[in-house]
Amino acid sequence: MKPATFTYHSCRTVEEAVGHLGAAADAKVICGGQSLVPMMNLRLANPTDLVDLNRIPGLDAVEVGPAGITVGATARQHAVEISPDVTAAVPMLAAALGHVGHPQIRNRGTVVGSLCHADPAAEMPAVFATLGGSVTAQGPGGTRTIGAADFFDSYLTTSLAADEVATSVTFDRPEPGAGWSFEEVTRRHGDFAIVGVVTLVAVTGGSVAQARVTVFGGGGTPQRMADAEQLLVGTARADVDEELLRSAGAAVSSALTPTGDIHGSAAYRRHVAGVLVTRGLRTALDRARG
Amino acid sequence: MTETLPAPTAAPAAGNGLAAEHLRIRTDKWIGKRTKRVEDPRFLTGNARYVADLVRPRMLHAVYVRSPHPHARIVSVDTSVLPGLGTSVWVFTGKDLADVPPLIDHVALDHLLRTPQNVIAVDKVRFVGDAVAVVVAADRYAAEDAAEELGAAVEYEVLPPIPNVTAANAPGAALLFEDLGTNEIYRQTERHGDSDAAFAAADHVFEIAFHHNRYGAAPMETRGVLADYERHDKQLTVWSSTQMPHFLRSIIAGQLGLPEHRVRVIAPEVGGGFGQKMCTSPEEIVIPFIAVALGRPVKWIEDRHEHLLAATQAKEEHITLEVAVTNEGKLLAVRGEFVGDGGGYSFNTESALIEPALAAKSFPGPYRLDAYDETVAASLTNKSPVAAYRGVGWTAANTVREIVVDEIARGLGIDPVEIRHRNMLHADELPYRSITEQLYDSGSYHESLDLAIETVDYAAFRARQAELREQGRYLGLGISSYVEQTAWGSDSSAQAGTPLPSHDNSTVTVDPSGTVTVAVSTSCHGQGHETAYAQIAADGLGVGIGDVKVIYGDTESAPYGLGTYASRSAVIGGATVARAAADVREQILKVAANMLEANPEDLTIDDSVISVTGAPGVSKTMAEVAYAAYWDSEVRSDEPLLTATRFYDPPATYANGCVVVLCEVDAGTGSVTLDRIVAIEDCGTVINPMIVEAQVHGAITQGVGGALFEQFVYGDDGQPQTTTYMDYLVPTSTDIPPIEVLSLCSPSPFSIGGIKGMGEGGQIAAPAAVANAVADALAPFGAKVRELPLAPDYVLRLIGAIGADES
Amino acid sequence: MMSTHPKHPIGLTVNGETHDVLVEPRRTLADVLREEVGLTGTKLGCEHGVCGACTVLLDGSAVRACLVFAVQAEGAEIATVEGLAEEGTLDHVQQAFTDNHGLQCGFCTAGMVMTTHAMLAENPDPTDDEIRVGLNGNLCRCTGYTNIVRSVSAAAASAKAAQPGARAS
Repeated sequence: MKPATFTYHSCRTVEEAVGHLGAAADAKVICGGQSLVPMMNLRLANPTDLVDLNRIPGLDAVEVGPAGITVGATARQHAVEISPDVTAAVPMLAAALGHVGHPQIRNRGTVVGSLCHADPAAEMPAVFATLGGSVTAQGPGGTRTIGAADFFDSYLTTSLAADEVATSVTFDRPEPGAGWSFEEVTRRHGDFAIVGVVTLVAVTGGSVAQARVTVFGGGGTPQRMADAEQLLVGTARADVDEELLRSAGAAVSSALTPTGDIHGSAAYRRHVAGVLVTRGLRTALDRARG
Repeated sequence: MTETLPAPTAAPAAGNGLAAEHLRIRTDKWIGKRTKRVEDPRFLTGNARYVADLVRPRMLHAVYVRSPHPHARIVSVDTSVLPGLGTSVWVFTGKDLADVPPLIDHVALDHLLRTPQNVIAVDKVRFVGDAVAVVVAADRYAAEDAAEELGAAVEYEVLPPIPNVTAANAPGAALLFEDLGTNEIYRQTERHGDSDAAFAAADHVFEIAFHHNRYGAAPMETRGVLADYERHDKQLTVWSSTQMPHFLRSIIAGQLGLPEHRVRVIAPEVGGGFGQKMCTSPEEIVIPFIAVALGRPVKWIEDRHEHLLAATQAKEEHITLEVAVTNEGKLLAVRGEFVGDGGGYSFNTESALIEPALAAKSFPGPYRLDAYDETVAASLTNKSPVAAYRGVGWTAANTVREIVVDEIARGLGIDPVEIRHRNMLHADELPYRSITEQLYDSGSYHESLDLAIETVDYAAFRARQAELREQGRYLGLGISSYVEQTAWGSDSSAQAGTPLPSHDNSTVTVDPSGTVTVAVSTSCHGQGHETAYAQIAADGLGVGIGDVKVIYGDTESAPYGLGTYASRSAVIGGATVARAAADVREQILKVAANMLEANPEDLTIDDSVISVTGAPGVSKTMAEVAYAAYWDSEVRSDEPLLTATRFYDPPATYANGCVVVLCEVDAGTGSVTLDRIVAIEDCGTVINPMIVEAQVHGAITQGVGGALFEQFVYGDDGQPQTTTYMDYLVPTSTDIPPIEVLSLCSPSPFSIGGIKGMGEGGQIAAPAAVANAVADALAPFGAKVRELPLAPDYVLRLIGAIGADES
Repeated sequence: MMSTHPKHPIGLTVNGETHDVLVEPRRTLADVLREEVGLTGTKLGCEHGVCGACTVLLDGSAVRACLVFAVQAEGAEIATVEGLAEEGTLDHVQQAFTDNHGLQCGFCTAGMVMTTHAMLAENPDPTDDEIRVGLNGNLCRCTGYTNIVRSVSAAAASAKAAQPGARAS
């Protein structure tokens, strides 16, 4: 289990990295490497070139602003997880990070890298899909931002071009007082989810102003579940009862068409997604203020 | 807490003719103490050397090319694709090793069809991972590059895969060994007592058809071999991560046609074995062959992916039972069929029978059973071969027996504790010959059950269970009682149903300075032998353990013996050390008596000082006596060396205990959380309680792994689907609750020192304890566990929340 | 596949000693520590980031040495298990592991000990549950973790007791 040969480029600027990505036959960006290197060791990934971002100055910033939290490409998951500012602003993000792999993985792995790897059973993509926000990407033609809804294409695939570098992600800050939940079922703590659900609920003036429900592990990308969300939005908080929450769960179960694997069948994922949606919305509503 | 149960009684014939006084060993100061391990510092500082850590000058690295197909003919291997062939890269295929005799199973049973395995496949591959070629290069990375190239240049004719026992025995099934005419290599029925009469008299018959999962040892250190051949001395040295260095030496010498005295096998530090490193792997023949052929040291270190494909797997059985019982829950008779899914070969130096045969023989466990029909069968399938793993056969038997006992209790409205008491043997009935001819020496079956139940506060648990059930929370408690056959020598293996003659030996030597070297034929891989044997030798000689060094694992310094497996080392190794130490003690006392002008029988040894009883101050130190023994011709004996080698081939001993698991099941997601595990262990005389308890911790954790997480999954196409640690799920620290271990002590009346083996009971008992806890939690749903592991998906199917897998 | 790629000269500081080595970019930090530097205490148990046996401290943080290329560690300070004991005396974590029988076969031990150091540096007084979560990325096949959790807890206690100003208990 040793990787095949590759050419290594330790970059000092994003421009340099973009240049290598464009020039090489099959280049991959490496930063944390916690998903890429296992695949290389197994020779399931055999890039010709590795373009290393780690030594580019300034990419490791974590900034908590009024509109959102911006995490640079080389910021480690653990740095985000333990940031008191992040926990205060978006507790969902810190809570979800606690479920990403193991301590050693989070010490090295990056938030942006997890998004770019786009594993459909991973935690960060689901959080991004729920909170909304954008990825900033730099390519040969300059810089662009890609909205959360447009970022994930399919299994392990994003809308980043082969010669683009994701330099940061901004997670939108939820409405003040919004409630949230993060639920997942794994075979063991730290494993990728068999299925998981992230919710975000804002209650304003006694009714549900915003409801977001994202399922991960239920398809090729994290999926926002519009039917379930619409069941809640506009409903008076007092009318959100167990039956409605169960209906939201049932709506999710019937909308999903997951693929089964040895850890959970399609039937399992569909059923449990519904269970977690009901539970997660209950938790989020309990946490919501307003 | 420790209680002493029946005192040792005189040994019957099975005690190898030893009278009771010969069974006694000295336990003055060290035996029974929580002595910290003397071997720890080198492991804690990174100085312990395992095979992968060893380097020889001009060493080459070997990498295997393995079959990607479950069943195929090898058409050709085109080695010409490799640049540098013969100068920087070397290749060995099955044809190159055609003169090496195939490996074959060793179990001496009639009716067992043999499946000789070429050490590298010649014509056919029989599982994904079967060896096709070995590539050798100066660097591991380069060797992997070449192996990848060569792998793409192997042409196969793909044959229909046989993914399971059902497919193996279907009409017209493809045959793994065409010349045998069948994939079923064994099927025999043995009847004990009159089951027909018992079934006719029964009030109820309970049935169960159970699939015990295929899981495996997965030691932290994978397999590995380094071989070096000195052409001029004709001396082969092999370092292997093995549990049986001498046995391996004999096999290598035989397979390669080398004189055995020119073969040296060294087991360096071994990073866990759990039975997997007992059998002779083909790699342990191939790597030495290549080293001889090239005249250069060659190292092969199995990587984890390769390990999950090609290392032996374990425990897969289909067990079907009919159980005749009375209204009161008394077991009358059992008809059982135990079918092993053996994988591609009935594996080398073991057998595909070890799972089903040992399961069938050990099935009765702690219960009285007067009639029993056992059918044992094994079939070949296109999967990695099955071989030994902690609790061989006993795990599956215990699992299905304890599950069915709970189902009978539930069916008849009897408490699960009570039904066990109604059927268990009492301590005063032992020694007891079970219906399968296993001679239980002593035990505490009722007492260990009671202690476990008392420890978990059974009544309080039941009250809380009922209360939480009202709230839709499902707590469960599972009990699993067990009897663990230990002390694997000739007697034990015969009682197990797979006879394998053996004995082991230790040499105790006091050197001229008075320090002690103990050389043992058992071979440690984590069990703390350096400490435990030092405790025995220290008591035997009257010295401190700091004066004792234990050596093992090198066939040039350790006496011949079979090594460490099947919970044999404490009994066999311990006894040989005690006996050899007793002999050396006599030699020392003889010299001391000459020096002190006293009778040897009037001398005592305490803290390395030899004194005359009743004459305080008249004494010599061990160092003084030892020096004189070697150098002083006035006082030395006819044979001046202070050394003795003693052997032991013990009678079977049977440890016992009880494991209770408390769990909660999330009926929404099917997730099982273990809240508490209590284990009662009774292994007779304990040498080091700290080590015993830790063995229980580890064994239980492996059993929990099998119950909740671990399974080698093969698709219907014969392709393995658990080839990384992302899919083969070893339990982590967050999956295991604190494990509480309590001890009882029923010394063996048969064995030297009353010692029994231990270390497998946790693995044997834990799967049923977990399964019974889950079934107990889900009793309102009528859940009956029929397979393992209890993955969330299966749990939801058990309670009807989801249907059969449609994906 | 068999092309040879130029080797990179890199400098590593391992347990305070500097090492200049020439390596292919594909060589993992674990292999370079074990083979080029000669420190074999760091073990390889899976080489795909699950088992934790290869855990070392890279600039103070616990990482899997099988998932870092040595070229990426150029200039970094690396701590391995060999650097802990001073003049033959076990450090407090090592001592706690032997006191509490926190190891059997020893193959996971280096990773466990290094992870413990990183864990206690961040959380000097962890609960048993926090210890279990902190060790979650280190597999052990022998101990069932029971005595490892005890060892970590004891190491935390001994570190606290040794702090200047701590009251002798």
